[in-house]
Amino acid sequence: MPISSFYGLQTSLRGLLAQQRSLDTTAHNISNASTPGYSRQEAVLTAARASDIPAGMLQSGGGAQLGSGVEVQAYRRIRDNFLDLQYRGQFTSLSEQQARSDSLQRVELTSGEPGDTGINTLLGEYWNAWSDLADAPDEQAAQSALLQKSASLADAFSAFRSQLVGAQQDAQAEYDDLTQSSLVTGVPGEIESTAREIANLNDTIMKFTTAGDIPNDLMDKRDMLLDKLAGYGQTSITHNADGSVDVVFGGDVTSPKLVQGSSYSWSGSPAWAPGGPGGRLGGLLSLASPTGGTIQGYIDELDTVADQVVTSTNAALAGPGSPPNPPVAGPFWDPTKTGAGNLAFAPGLDRTTLGGGPSAPASDNTAALRVAALRGGVGDQRYRALIARMGTEVTDANRKTNNMQALADSINDRRESVAGVALDEEMSNLVRFQRAYQASSRAMSTLDEMLDVLINRTGKVGL
Amino acid sequence: MSTRITTGMITRGVLSDLNNASNRLAKTQMKASSGKEITRPSDDPFKTSRAMALRTSREGTRQYQRTIADARGWQETAEQALGTMTNDVQRVQALVIQAGSDVMDQESRNGILAEVRQITEGLKQEANASYRGRYVFGGTATDKPPYQAGATDAYGGNPDQIFRQVGPGVALPVNLTGDQVLGSGGADGKLLSVLRDIETHLTAGDTASLRSGDLDGLNKNLDLLLNRRADNGAMSNRLEAAESRLQQIEETETTMLSNTEDADIARTMIDFSSQSAAYQAALKSGANIIQPSLMDFLR
Repeated sequence: MPISSFYGLQTSLRGLLAQQRSLDTTAHNISNASTPGYSRQEAVLTAARASDIPAGMLQSGGGAQLGSGVEVQAYRRIRDNFLDLQYRGQFTSLSEQQARSDSLQRVELTSGEPGDTGINTLLGEYWNAWSDLADAPDEQAAQSALLQKSASLADAFSAFRSQLVGAQQDAQAEYDDLTQSSLVTGVPGEIESTAREIANLNDTIMKFTTAGDIPNDLMDKRDMLLDKLAGYGQTSITHNADGSVDVVFGGDVTSPKLVQGSSYSWSGSPAWAPGGPGGRLGGLLSLASPTGGTIQGYIDELDTVADQVVTSTNAALAGPGSPPNPPVAGPFWDPTKTGAGNLAFAPGLDRTTLGGGPSAPASDNTAALRVAALRGGVGDQRYRALIARMGTEVTDANRKTNNMQALADSINDRRESVAGVALDEEMSNLVRFQRAYQASSRAMSTLDEMLDVLINRTGKVGL
Repeated sequence: MSTRITTGMITRGVLSDLNNASNRLAKTQMKASSGKEITRPSDDPFKTSRAMALRTSREGTRQYQRTIADARGWQETAEQALGTMTNDVQRVQALVIQAGSDVMDQESRNGILAEVRQITEGLKQEANASYRGRYVFGGTATDKPPYQAGATDAYGGNPDQIFRQVGPGVALPVNLTGDQVLGSGGADGKLLSVLRDIETHLTAGDTASLRSGDLDGLNKNLDLLLNRRADNGAMSNRLEAAESRLQQIEETETTMLSNTEDADIARTMIDFSSQSAAYQAALKSGANIIQPSLMDFLR
């Protein structure tokens, strides 16, 4: 079989086209240099199927293969799935600590400690007011001051408690928002809508994959959604042969998979596996949980401190000499109102009843002295311990967040190192492909000149 | 394989470094402007708790100092009254010695009697001394005068002690009751009853009783009065000692509080300038790294 004279033209054309596709891919990379989640792509070039020269055609009697140029085999995205896995694990932990750190920092600020406006200072002023009353039990100014300082203390307790409750409710509300299901509330939460997007992408990707295509850009999009999902909770992802991925969310293996092929299933916050869902959800749960949650712990402790102030004050007043207990008749705080949010004076208590009644000697300060001696006692100590605990937990969450941020950043850098677009590299590729393109076209011109000689000049001897 | 450094990595790296540097800078700036090392519990939980404890105890120390100032005012009032009383009793002593002489006629004794009556009234008035509207010799019944003017000598107060808290767990008594000093009239052998006896004996011209029993009784009560003054003085001394101790404690607590929560301004300023230099360096190197690319060198 003779070889066509135009054979080389075809080979050059293939070269031109392949370099052009490479240039196109480079242009695509450059365009997407700052697209989040984009993985760089390359045109995979391979030598085209060679032309067979059958046996006997060559002088040696054997056959041969004549190269026919180049072909684009595939457009490949360059990405390391293993790094994705590592990154998502780290991102889950990071999001959990970040949720804790953000909320606890706010909580910590509302305490107003250490400073002149916090409960610590007001407690000190409360004990001072009792000391002043002990110095002048029948003085109206001292009596009014005690009532006013006590009311400020009650207000401060109540304000701090409602701030804590507010922070707890905020965390719970965010959790509810994220996990709500359109089956229950009619509005999909962030998790459900992410799952739906992933399922939709799965569907499209499966169609392309079965047709033999690799939809690189869709896969990038899906990877980004999987990253996002990993921030909300633990994910475990299985890659299927049809190009789809299955997602198990929240470490919860008993309930149906969140995403399976082109379908998804989310019916609101499930019963999590022991250890919780992790991620932002886990962080929010650990803050907001009414049983054993971090903020609930603060609220309970604050209640204990307030109760401690109430009972110790009342107990000191009820000591020897009662009734009546000068300078206060009966309890000072209402013993039936417990918790930091409810501090109230005993019913009927006002400035005039502080004097202990007409039968009591005017300067009998024994009861007031007993109350004043409570300064720096269990109440103050427990409150200090509470603030120290808060501080420690914020420090802890901040430190963990910083460490995990550093780790996540370094993994992300490695991922970027593989998948990211390096403009310098693209520039040099641009030059490389351009040169190859030029060379192919030069080859084509050469063949053209050859054919020119053959067609236009051959056989014109003597003309 | 050497790591590929991509544009995204450089941008992220530069950004996060800049962010860290400016965070540190902001924190130092806050220290410098607030003058506090700790502005929130998480800056240093242990120091926060210590600062809070120090504040509480310094607040207490200041309160004790106020209490002591009040208690000393109380005791000074008592001391002045007791001083006047001592002088009065000494005057009576002189008068009784004078009146005990057999050569004195009744006319003169009547003159002395009048003076003794005056002094008795005066003593009761002194015993009604008050501080900030409270009768200091009335026990805890400070709203009622301990003695009535006139013939009734009964003590109107109660025998209760008033305590002032002058330190953690330290309560000192600050009052003397009138009946400890003047007695409650009747025949209790205290100052008022002795004075009434003297008045009777002066009226009757009973010089023998004036010379022996009355003078003895007077001497005994003068000793008692001096003892009470000594007691009062001793209490004052304890208060004074407590006050100067509390002043020292307050100074120590203030110093410790400042050491715990105040920023070391010199160090903070040095930190600030070195951190701001680091920040500027990060800015400059960031600008230089990001700027050039291969594009600048290809036609």
